[in-house]
Amino acid sequence: MNNTADVIVIGGGILGNATAYYLEKRGLHAIVLEGSDHIGNGGSSRNGGGVRQSGRDVRELPLVMYGIKNIWPTLSEELGVDCEYHQDGNLRLGKNEKHKEILTRLATNAKGCGLDVRMIDGKEVREINPYLSDEVTCASWCPTDGHANPLTTTLGYYKCARALGARFVTGEFVKEIRLVKGRAGKVVCASGDVYEGDNVVVLAGYDSRAILGTVGIDVPMTRSLLECLVTEAQPHMFDQMLGTAEADFYGHQTKHGSFVFGGSSGFEGYNKDNGTPISNAITAPCICRGIMKYFPILSKAKIVRTWAGWSDKSADGVPVVGAIEEVPGLYTSCAMTGHGFGIGPAVAHQLAQLIATGETDVDLHELRYDRFHAKI
Amino acid sequence: MNSVNDRSRDIGAFVPRDDDDMLICRCEEITKGEIRRAVHDGMWTMTEIRRYLRTGMGLCQGQTCARLVKGIVARELGVSPAELEPATSRVPMRPIEMEVFAKEAKEDGHE
Amino acid sequence: MNRVDLIIVGAGPSGLSAAIEASRRGLEVIVFDENEKPGGQLFKQIHKFFGSKEHRAKVRGFNIGKQLLEEADEAGVRVILNATVIGLYQDKEVVVRIGDEVVHYKADAVIIATGAAENMVTFPGWTLPGVIGAGAAQTMMNLHGIKPGKRVLMLGSGNVGLVVSFQLLQSGCEVVALVDAAPRVGGYGVHAAKVARTGVPFYLSHTIVEAEGEDHVTAVTIAEVDERFQFVPGSEKRFEVDTICLAVGLSPMSQLLKMAGAEMEDNPKRGGQVPICDNHGRTSLPGIFVAGDVSGIEEASSAMIEGRMAGIAAAEYLGYTDAETMQSDLEQLENALDGLRQGMFAPKNRGKLIEKTEEGIDISLNLLEKGYVSDDEIERYPGVTHRKGVHPVIECTQNIPCNPCQDACPKKCISIGKDITSLPIVVDDCDCINCGMCVASCSGQAIFLVDEDCGDGTATVTLPYEFLPLPEEGAVGNALGRDGQVVCKAEVVSVKTAKAFDKTYLLTMRVPKEYAMKARFFKS
Repeated sequence: MNNTADVIVIGGGILGNATAYYLEKRGLHAIVLEGSDHIGNGGSSRNGGGVRQSGRDVRELPLVMYGIKNIWPTLSEELGVDCEYHQDGNLRLGKNEKHKEILTRLATNAKGCGLDVRMIDGKEVREINPYLSDEVTCASWCPTDGHANPLTTTLGYYKCARALGARFVTGEFVKEIRLVKGRAGKVVCASGDVYEGDNVVVLAGYDSRAILGTVGIDVPMTRSLLECLVTEAQPHMFDQMLGTAEADFYGHQTKHGSFVFGGSSGFEGYNKDNGTPISNAITAPCICRGIMKYFPILSKAKIVRTWAGWSDKSADGVPVVGAIEEVPGLYTSCAMTGHGFGIGPAVAHQLAQLIATGETDVDLHELRYDRFHAKI
Repeated sequence: MNSVNDRSRDIGAFVPRDDDDMLICRCEEITKGEIRRAVHDGMWTMTEIRRYLRTGMGLCQGQTCARLVKGIVARELGVSPAELEPATSRVPMRPIEMEVFAKEAKEDGHE
Repeated sequence: MNRVDLIIVGAGPSGLSAAIEASRRGLEVIVFDENEKPGGQLFKQIHKFFGSKEHRAKVRGFNIGKQLLEEADEAGVRVILNATVIGLYQDKEVVVRIGDEVVHYKADAVIIATGAAENMVTFPGWTLPGVIGAGAAQTMMNLHGIKPGKRVLMLGSGNVGLVVSFQLLQSGCEVVALVDAAPRVGGYGVHAAKVARTGVPFYLSHTIVEAEGEDHVTAVTIAEVDERFQFVPGSEKRFEVDTICLAVGLSPMSQLLKMAGAEMEDNPKRGGQVPICDNHGRTSLPGIFVAGDVSGIEEASSAMIEGRMAGIAAAEYLGYTDAETMQSDLEQLENALDGLRQGMFAPKNRGKLIEKTEEGIDISLNLLEKGYVSDDEIERYPGVTHRKGVHPVIECTQNIPCNPCQDACPKKCISIGKDITSLPIVVDDCDCINCGMCVASCSGQAIFLVDEDCGDGTATVTLPYEFLPLPEEGAVGNALGRDGQVVCKAEVVSVKTAKAFDKTYLLTMRVPKEYAMKARFFKS
């Protein structure tokens, strides 16, 4: 098998699959290397499915707005897979004055970028979503936000990229990138396999740090273990994406009827990694308690599964996206900080454009890898 | 240990069969044909099949269909079922009401 | 955090056995089980178990369960029922749902003894109500006293399929056919023979084509399959049934171990996804042990021994017993387990075609293909002899690890020898007193007392009988042959019971003497 391509993509999550898809559409051949045994095995399959603009830092807003405008609305049709995309708004819920302050600040910033997001009171919240408890006193409301199914979207991109000719290899854990005459051109795997390309794109979540490190690039990031849970199917209740000012939980009701919620226990970032898919024993109960405060109606809903996933968090809470100019031929999108799914299609689309043409529709300057400086 | 698996390997084209409409995953109502087709869409592991189609994601968590799905996927790929890693097991082992999961006993009161 | 020495998940035969051994060695043990009653599958087993005395042979499964519970009680084991373990987390943290809350426990050692779940097969109509697992049928009958249906087709000729077919007959169901895609009966020949002689037809190399019905099963069609398991056109047979029982194997319920990160393997010889473990149940995770079906499908007798071994190994792991004592304790159990894993059906022989007994006698082909030994084949086995007066006829034709008959005879007429799998023989100076102990002791219901010539042109045959209502003395009915076909008229001479028979009745019937070696069942 020929191990040479125009672009070697490291990471088979939504970013890797979608980048390969958009590259192939532009006529560039991609080989995607996925370290685990499964395509879409990292954060792409373990997130709450949010496709939202509200609550994001202004630096990443243009990119996510680009995706929501140009990609998400027709994605199911394009991929021939039901991505279950819903654009029915995002409610970010608050229960007290402190929450209201946080939400108001986020809303004001987003409005500055031209996003339709506004603060509403408890009564208006319950007009939008009558299932919410009286504890909810305020919310930010962004009607153009939504959610989608991370599993089918990620695998849908994979299916289509593969059909277009992208080559995918799983169980191919990348050890290092090697320079060829000053360009990122060779990728060496733990298996001993070597892949060569004119360009290398690193889209490997937290592992990106170690991989980029092999060519002397460091993106400051940490990782934390976040958890999700899913209920059995319930009668249809609502289509909005939900979050809270305190991030106790976030989630939505899926097309299938089940509720998918993500959340935290407060020990994220300190959880032990013992190399198994074990989630933390105290987290799911904590998420359940959080949900029930907002949705007493779900108390009797049965949880059928919980899972955990590592989130790669940048030092300033904003993803790193774009070309790494000091190593020609090298690109990355990492430290997605838990925002990777909704923004993923736009990131991939722009990276493919950047690699193919050297230009992007959206200015990625604010997301540069070398934006991190000492505080004084 | 992960094993290198080239997803470009030729497994032949999808050929419709008479029993394609047979229900395999009863909880999520997924047919044999859907599973076979998913393999040709590139879903080569039990985990991918499960995420793509929802097989084994229902109330029984695959207790009934996991073995059946595995057999179908293996046959389609031309490998032995033993070579396919089963989908990951998840907490809770049995479905549990949110209010019960939320209520953590303070200490052992169950003598 | 609640912390104990040892948590055992599952209060079935292996879990309870492990708990008993660990508790006796001083460990604080808690056993969780999601069911409302302990004992796992044992309380569904109404048949007598095989093996030797140390394996509690000829004791009915549910009575073994009772003995085990008593032992556990004496040892001070704490069994918490209706307690569903929902997760095994890192640092051996076990989260259990008890009532309307979850409880966190930590243990220094954990034994997973969660058993197995039934496999399913697919065919058009397999999701119709009325298609059930054989284990489910057993639960309905033997735990809840509910007849699963009126007319049943059984798919699967392994021991589960055979034993449950017999139990279906006992509960008053009609078993219209016993079907298996394999060309040979998978379970013990004696289990097959006791089903076949009641008239149940066996269809080997057959499987289900489809089940019919709108809202429940009303009929089923089977057909012959060739060596490549393709249907042979024109071989279809249709039966009107309301129930289809599937006895197509079990899969270990090993999810907790996979979740905890134990090294796993898919091992078809063990029944599927199992943790990699050593002979005493130690998994790749220090302090986490397994026992019973979860580590490989076998049966209750071996599960109990495995449980004891895991309990002892856990005790050593936590310093409650020293390595040397453990070694000698384990040795005895290893020998006992080894005894069970002998003979034709030993795990090592799974999938092998065995054509001769250890004694060099040809295995009955009819037994393998039709479920019964034919009249001309039966004469070649050492338990089948002809003598004057009443004498035992032992129709035990396969090497299985079982020897209660040898001890049952007060006159020492039956001998198996030191090799537990040998076929029993009737000793030359057999001095049979017609007590019937051997008949009742045989877990395979393969021993008959025959008086081949009563002097008046008749013969008497005493057979084990476990059906209700019992025929009356003097009742006239049909004698059925080994193949379940009517061979002649028969009159019931007596129906005896005794405490020692443990609910196996001894039915003696009188038949014309030429049928002495043919008549093997009585039907009113």
